Amino acid sequence: MAFKRRRRTFHRRKVCRFCVDSELRIDYKDPKTLRYFVTERGKIVPRRISGNCAKHQRVLTLAIKRARQVALLPFTTIHTI
Amino acid sequence: MRKYETFFIVDPDLPDDITASVDEKIKSIITAQGGIVINYTPWGKKKLAYPVKKRSRGLYVLAEYSGGPALVAELERNMRLDERVLKFITVKLEDRFDPETELPREVKTSPAFDEDDDILLATSKTSEDEEEELSEEEFEEEENE
Repeated sequence: MAFKRRRRTFHRRKVCRFCVDSELRIDYKDPKTLRYFVTERGKIVPRRISGNCAKHQRVLTLAIKRARQVALLPFTTIHTI
Repeated sequence: MRKYETFFIVDPDLPDDITASVDEKIKSIITAQGGIVINYTPWGKKKLAYPVKKRSRGLYVLAEYSGGPALVAELERNMRLDERVLKFITVKLEDRFDPETELPREVKTSPAFDEDDDILLATSKTSEDEEEELSEEEFEEEENE
């Protein structure tokens, strides 16, 4: 590649959903909440897009990985093939 | 005493009395090792995100208990040997748990999902998500490269 595509700086001033609402709990047993942070293919959404703070992103990642272990979330959507 | 929870999947096609015997077995292991069962809640049958031991549905059970660390090893060993338990995960909730003071204040965790909740069903996008869609598209493009 000759040049790098100029990327506009991400003005992601979006707040962390869990910092704002302290009632929200991140639980691996709750696939409904976790589903928002997983793409269609089942991949974990990065922090720059979801807007989470670092602490909650770490907790969320752990919860998603645990949920995958108990088959509440898929590892990938190509299980069906 | 530490507080743990074990979330496990039982074969859903078993008749009720066998499922009840699995419940009894788990509870008896906990109490035999000197632990205390705090909550034992079957969460119901659900479609699994991927096939587990060739089955596409499973019966989820959540067991909260307190005990020593050896209790967890013993419980997991028994679950591994039992063919009716398909998957399990044990999470430590608290390091110091005093049964006398905390047991009456226990809050029962109710199941967070309804039966037959399809995980891959797309949720309706709210306006909040529309903001995310722009950058998510970029992200999705990177995925499909």
